[in-house]
Amino acid sequence: MRSSSVIALALSLTLPGCGFAWRALKRNLDAPAERSVAHKIVEPRRPEARLAALWVGHATVLLQLDDRFVLTDPLFAHTLAQASPRLVEPGFDPEHLPPLAAVVVSHMHFDHLSFGSLDAIEQLTPIVLVPPGVRANMPRYDFEIRELETWTSYEHEGLRVTAVPVQHVGGRYGLDAAFETRAFTGYVFEYHGLSVYFGGDTAYVPSAFQATRARFPDLSLALLPICPDTPRDFMQYTHVSPRQALDAFSLLGAKQMLPIHFDTYINSDDALGACPKELRTRMQARGLTEEQVPILTIGEQRVLIAR
Amino acid sequence: MSVRKLGIIATLLARSAFGAPSASAEAVSLTPAPKPRLMSAAAAVGVWSAAQLIPSPLLVTGKEHVGGGLRWQLTPLLYSFGIAERPLRSFLISPIARHSGSIELHVSPEWACCAPSKQSSWLVRAGLRLYLPLLEHGEKLSWSLGSSYYRAVGGGGMAADLGIFTFNGVLGLNVTVSPWLTRREVVTTFMIRLF
Repeated sequence: MRSSSVIALALSLTLPGCGFAWRALKRNLDAPAERSVAHKIVEPRRPEARLAALWVGHATVLLQLDDRFVLTDPLFAHTLAQASPRLVEPGFDPEHLPPLAAVVVSHMHFDHLSFGSLDAIEQLTPIVLVPPGVRANMPRYDFEIRELETWTSYEHEGLRVTAVPVQHVGGRYGLDAAFETRAFTGYVFEYHGLSVYFGGDTAYVPSAFQATRARFPDLSLALLPICPDTPRDFMQYTHVSPRQALDAFSLLGAKQMLPIHFDTYINSDDALGACPKELRTRMQARGLTEEQVPILTIGEQRVLIAR
Repeated sequence: MSVRKLGIIATLLARSAFGAPSASAEAVSLTPAPKPRLMSAAAAVGVWSAAQLIPSPLLVTGKEHVGGGLRWQLTPLLYSFGIAERPLRSFLISPIARHSGSIELHVSPEWACCAPSKQSSWLVRAGLRLYLPLLEHGEKLSWSLGSSYYRAVGGGGMAADLGIFTFNGVLGLNVTVSPWLTRREVVTTFMIRLF
């Protein structure tokens, strides 16, 4: 594994702006063994919940909206691109997944689009929604792969999923980002009066959050990334900081925010725990409570709106 | 109006418009992140094309000789039966299109030592190669089987090859057997393939 990490990450240095990649390489080589999750949930259906979220890790969240389940950016892999080891095992095993109404993929970076993980859920979902340009970079599966342009929706049996604007970079292999200039998105799920925003990966773009709020003025929940934060001069183009995530939460006008995309892999200069720590500091400064912004541990499920 | 004044006005507007928490000590910023600096599509094509000029090192083995060499590969046409969309690709081929299951027409200039004469150190192979996925649709592991025709100064002939690939197909090992190619009967290539 270690020699393979060296090769893969050394190859990644051909990509632009990867000065910090050497540091990430060293940190990945020194990464501790994957930590296990105690008392994993095996029955995710919560009869008492209208809205519940189970954080599997990174950007993978199993959402229960009344009687429907949706899954975001499914990632159950133990290494990313055969290079970066997972720090904490997936907080939920895919064999315990209920039937899914839909799965969304925000973009095709290795930490958001995992072909092996899609294999694991292939028979559980009728459809996987992706941004434009991604389908031509995915293998065939039994489920439908449908590309959603910004502000267009998929609707089925009362569930509506709408692609909403974010700022990130497309592509999967580095150089193809130059071609895949639209291959990233966020989503809003709507069902039975509930609405949930999923930011995938995004930089801080107030106009995008404001436009989303204008169309979805009553968001119940916002799933927002809070990491990677540093090196900021590199990350600012594509990732919100913890402070900016709270700003985005405010601009979106959601009632609750669930922070995601932290402490699962090493892909930045951030120390383990630094992003949630910074988030807590900023929450305190703004008078936000853990009721409004619950910070889950990997594998934890929270009922956000009870019946 | 100064930047500072604009900032204060923007902050006040943001607070009133977006309902920042009353106990807020921090204002909501309305300054957007800069746009990512991406290489232009033309430049990316140039880099990808140039990457195909990176040769793969090879090892020539025979009864009485061992030597080295280099091999390049161009892929004028590939049909992917493993990809969800756009099965026909040419020259710039994303790894998943190739390694999820495909058949390609390839052209491979090759230089190797140990040939009977200096002129015949160079040859060109052209052939068909089938790729089949083994793990994670070929991203983790795939294998290939191919046949080709080679043309050198001294003449031409047929060859067969077998390969195995990993790391999204960037790295692989390919063994080419050309029974009638004197002093170059078996060529093992450490494949480096960037699209």
